[in-house]
Amino acid sequence: MSLLYLLARWLDRISPAPIAYAHCDIPCGIYDPHHAQLAAHTVVRMVDLINQLEKPGASSTPEQRQEYTNKLTRYIATKEQHSEIAKNEVRILWGDYFKPEHVKTFPELHELVWKALKSGSKARQEINLQAAEDLLKATNDIASIFWKTKGFETITAKAPYPTERLTVYPKFK
Amino acid sequence: MFPLRRFRVEDDSMRPALEPGDYVLVNRWAYKFRSPAKGDLVVVRDPETPQRFLVKRVSAVPDAMQVRVAGDNADRSRDSRAFGPIPTREIVGKVWIRLR
Repeated sequence: MSLLYLLARWLDRISPAPIAYAHCDIPCGIYDPHHAQLAAHTVVRMVDLINQLEKPGASSTPEQRQEYTNKLTRYIATKEQHSEIAKNEVRILWGDYFKPEHVKTFPELHELVWKALKSGSKARQEINLQAAEDLLKATNDIASIFWKTKGFETITAKAPYPTERLTVYPKFK
Repeated sequence: MFPLRRFRVEDDSMRPALEPGDYVLVNRWAYKFRSPAKGDLVVVRDPETPQRFLVKRVSAVPDAMQVRVAGDNADRSRDSRAFGPIPTREIVGKVWIRLR
């Protein structure tokens, strides 16, 4: 601790020094690809549910049609929301977490992010199982790279949700 | 106007050059006769919150009117990568000495 430092600190009593922030983004360094994967699972699930939903026939009652419309609308609304969540989470990883040196080591990141965003939009616009699967695959591939940059191996296992699709998880030591 | 102004450093995007708790003496006349150069430690007005100050390092000087700033601790810094270049009139001054 230098004399000048002590002088500066003493001066603070007379008139406090303004603060110069070596400012960081808040919350610093807290990222996880799981949000994107989870949202992609939800999109897959919604497409499955929509496809399983029995369409009201010609002889259906107004109540049956109303119930069908209600269910369908809710599935679609959730699909809309969660494709957007998945896309946003991928954007956060891309914009805030991944650094040029990561892209140098994993040049496929560009393509993967592109695929995630494009399939996310398609899954949102259409009732398209393939687009939802592509979105999930892209978020899994991004997760696998993410965990490698953190120094963790990954395992690919069936998710314990109704979708039961293969999912990339980190192998914490 | 007295050329020197002191600031106290908070947050850790400039580690190890500046630690939270350090004081810096800033020369407000440093850029009267010369332009900011890449590598200079500067105190600038925060373009996102104008009533507060940021301490960062000049990472590029795209033209005479503006500079780009970055934290040394790139993983943990919010800087020109997020808010773009800063007009030179927003530079308070150049860090002259650090007191620790």
